[in-house]
Amino acid sequence: MGHFIDSIRAMGTTLRNFLRPPVTVEYPTVIRPRPERHRVSFALLIDETGDEACIGCLACERICPSQVIAIKQAPKRESKVTGKKRGYADDFTLDLEACIFCELCVQVCPTDAIVMCREPEVPGFCREDLVLTMDKLYANQKDKALSWGTAGKLLEMQDPARGKAEAKPAEGGEDKSAEAGAEKPKAKAGKAKAAKSAPEPAKSAPEPAKSAPEPAVSAPGQSAALPPATDAKPPAPVEVAAKEVAPASGLPQTAETTTKEIP
Amino acid sequence: MSVVKAKRQNPHFRLDLYEPEADLMVLNFGPQHPSTHGVFRMQLHLDGEKIVKAVPDLGYLHRGVEKLCERLTYVQITPIVDKNDYVSPMHNEQAINMAFEKLLGIEVPRRARYLRTIFAELQRMASHLLWLGTFALDLGGAIGGGASVFLHCFRERELILDLFEEVTGARFHYNTHTIGGNRHDITPGWAQSVKSALAVIESRIPEYESITLSNGIFFERTKGIGVLDGELALELGITGPILRASGVDHDLRRDAPYHAYDEIEVKVASAEGGDCWARSVVRLAELRESLRIVRALVDAVPEGPICGYKPIKLVGQVKIPSGQVYSAMESSRGELGTYVIAGGGEGNVSPYRLKIRPPSFHALSALPYLLPGHMVADAVVILGSLDPIMGEVDR
Ligand code: SF4
Ligand code: SF4
Repeated sequence: MGHFIDSIRAMGTTLRNFLRPPVTVEYPTVIRPRPERHRVSFALLIDETGDEACIGCLACERICPSQVIAIKQAPKRESKVTGKKRGYADDFTLDLEACIFCELCVQVCPTDAIVMCREPEVPGFCREDLVLTMDKLYANQKDKALSWGTAGKLLEMQDPARGKAEAKPAEGGEDKSAEAGAEKPKAKAGKAKAAKSAPEPAKSAPEPAKSAPEPAVSAPGQSAALPPATDAKPPAPVEVAAKEVAPASGLPQTAETTTKEIP
Repeated sequence: MSVVKAKRQNPHFRLDLYEPEADLMVLNFGPQHPSTHGVFRMQLHLDGEKIVKAVPDLGYLHRGVEKLCERLTYVQITPIVDKNDYVSPMHNEQAINMAFEKLLGIEVPRRARYLRTIFAELQRMASHLLWLGTFALDLGGAIGGGASVFLHCFRERELILDLFEEVTGARFHYNTHTIGGNRHDITPGWAQSVKSALAVIESRIPEYESITLSNGIFFERTKGIGVLDGELALELGITGPILRASGVDHDLRRDAPYHAYDEIEVKVASAEGGDCWARSVVRLAELRESLRIVRALVDAVPEGPICGYKPIKLVGQVKIPSGQVYSAMESSRGELGTYVIAGGGEGNVSPYRLKIRPPSFHALSALPYLLPGHMVADAVVILGSLDPIMGEVDR
């Protein structure tokens, strides 16, 4: 008898829950609001100048614990858009099959080129569908809502003092062209996402970095722009410009790679 | 006590243990049985319906995490160990990073320590909710429909995962801790969301209790079942709620405070009896206690930096040339320890050896003592009350 009453009481609890509004979200038709930092897929960003933000530095490939990123590094070449010399990734694939969404690749990117998306990938029919190729990654920037995190914002959040003090030695030393891309994805991501916690230091962070390369890089930028608008095939002027700048910027090998490549 | 001692003469992994004795039926329980909480196999030697001997068989979920950690660098290990105890990933991250911090001698900023405490306690609540749900499933439909409790608990657990998702962006494998602090700061409205979620969960705890603890059927299924005395528990290295249910008042949060536990009083729940009932009582009390701790801390989070070390920027940026350390914390299941010997990898960027001491592994070692004498149906209950997570048992 006692058990019978207990059962009735337990059933009462069940009934009370039965009368509560359902909490289930019927996924394909209803999509629950995803938080800003939600991370389920990836995008590579085109920066505000219209060029690829990724400079092929392999930092993300090296840090990935699952080793799912594969990058084919391109030799340094002139940007079609700005004329500045910088690195590129010839090919970039990210295999979602084994990705653990740890966000480390996002955090280490020096140019904020890789970010995560808030919308998942459509399920595929074969394993190859889960491999994000370079085209898919660049398409994701337009197709999907991007999540909040970029390298700049994550580092800023973890170390607010970093912005001014460290940006110059840390980033300026390794690659001049890195800085060219350093501040542009921010505009995009910021616009898309409305950075909540710390927008203004995030913007100020790249400032010193940007100003550092200015003198060196602006020289080839102008000289390349001078032979007007023929940047599709300006072998001679660019080569000259590259050679001129090379000693100034302290990167002799960039001149070599450029001369090798452009003819 | 003497009976237990006599049984303990047998080492666990002797092959003749697997040999059935005459007239006994051998029942393979698992590894695919839904009640085994993962891929875990028990060989039950039955006399009729009664268990005479039980031989646990582990290793079905072995992924070689410890070996893998010797190849990964320190900054890459955190997201990997997330997967060990997949019901409370926060504790795994914290345990591993606490070990590295101890090795490096880094002070974690106060804000990060508060956030870690809050995360740990929220995760403990999520873990205990999941345990309650699956334990009710193990007990079957007698208690107002076992599956309803399961779904109710999952519903409330979702609230906690939503909170984590808002901060870290992930619902489960967060990778939100780093050496020296946290990677993600809380968002401005987060404290408010925490409090509203806690209010919901608090209002539901009496419902769980009405369906479990104050239910006669639950009482009879658990009282006196799987009695583990405190002495044996200590000998087997069992910690956490199981040990506290056996009357040993031991909790690292209070006895060896880490994070911000030295700034808040932790009322350790313990119970006498050491049976499944006591373990349930302890876990539900811990649910309430965690709720109280989070509520007390969430408004008191101090301002300041969240990371006291260089943020991760390079794969090999953390180099530890030598040293070894053991550090432990109280996870949802007991003492989660990490033993690290530094100085591996090229340029000392990886641990030479990393050993994880999972509480569930030790809990499972109690099974050969707990099961004999009980019915097969009780085997499910006893296993459920130990709350093992095979991911961390096998690693
Ligand atoms: S999220 Fe982690 S696992 Fe996934 S690609 Fe980036 S670094 Fe690799
Ligand atoms: S870290 Fe950034 S810039 Fe470097 S290769 Fe990866 S995506 Fe490109």
